[in-house]
Amino acid sequence: MSSKLISSAIVFETLATSVSQCDRSEKFFLHFLEKPMELKLCELIGLKRKIENIDLTALVSSQGPDIEILYLSHQHPILVLSIYEILELREVLSGTFTMLELNSLIHKSIHRKFS
Amino acid sequence: MKDILRRHQVLKLEIVDVINKQIKMEAHSSSAYLAMAGWCDLQGYDNCADFFFKQSEEERKHQLKFFHYLTDMEAQAIAPAIGDCQHDFENLRDVFETALDIEISVTDAIHDIVGECRKHTDIATEEFMKWFVQEQIEEEYIARRALELFDVLGEDKIALGMIEEKILSVSYDGAN
Repeated sequence: MSSKLISSAIVFETLATSVSQCDRSEKFFLHFLEKPMELKLCELIGLKRKIENIDLTALVSSQGPDIEILYLSHQHPILVLSIYEILELREVLSGTFTMLELNSLIHKSIHRKFS
Repeated sequence: MKDILRRHQVLKLEIVDVINKQIKMEAHSSSAYLAMAGWCDLQGYDNCADFFFKQSEEERKHQLKFFHYLTDMEAQAIAPAIGDCQHDFENLRDVFETALDIEISVTDAIHDIVGECRKHTDIATEEFMKWFVQEQIEEEYIARRALELFDVLGEDKIALGMIEEKILSVSYDGAN
C-alpha cells in the first residue's frame, strides 16, 4: 500500500467497494478492482457521469455480452464492467458525492464561518 | 477531512450541464450562420454573405467564451458534435427570418441559464452571464432591423440590391 493510501480517509464504502480521499494530494482513490484507481475530482465526476449514463435496459436486452467498456484516460486502465459492477459503482459513487456535499456543507457552515 | 469538492469544483454540476448545452447551441448557431453565408454567397449577395460570416464568427466566440469559463472553473467543457443545419432557403428574406429565430432561441437559452444560476445561488456565473444577456439584446436587435429592411424596401430586385448595400451598416449603438 502506498503512503498516499495510508493518509487517506474513507469517504463512502459498500461491502465490496470504497472511495477514500487524500487531503495531501487532493485526490480520490476508488478501491474497486485489484488495484486502487487514483482520480482527481473532475475524473471522479466524469466517471460518475459515465456510469450513470449507461443504459442498463439496452445492455440487458442486447444480443452481445452483458458488459460495458469504459475508457477514462490514458492514465487509467480500461474498465470492463458487468451489470453487477455497474450497479456497485453507481451506489458507491452516489454515496460518495452525497458525503462530499455533506462535508462541503459542514465546512461552509462551521469551518469557513468561524475562520 | 478537506473540502476537496469546494476546492476543485467551483460550479454545481447542473450549471456545468446547462453551460455545456449552451456551448453546443452556440456551435450549432455558428454552423447555421455559416450555411447562410454560403447560400448568400452562391446567390450573389456578397454583403449578406459577409454579414453572416461575421455572425458565424460571433457565435464561435460566444462558444469559446463559455468553453473557457468552464475550464477556468475546473469543470469539464465538452467540445460538441454538431448536427446538420439548414442549407437551403426559399429566398433572402427566409434566410433573415431563420436568423431571427436562431437569435430568439439563443436569448431564451441564455435567460434559462440565468434562471438556473438563481435557482442554485450561483452569483459568479450569473454575473458572467450578464455579458451574454446584453449581447443578445444587440443580436436580436440587429436580426430584427435586418428583417425590417425587407418590410421597408420590399423584395423586388432593386429592393434586394438596396438591402445588400445597407446590410453591413445595420448595428446597435446601445439603449440610448
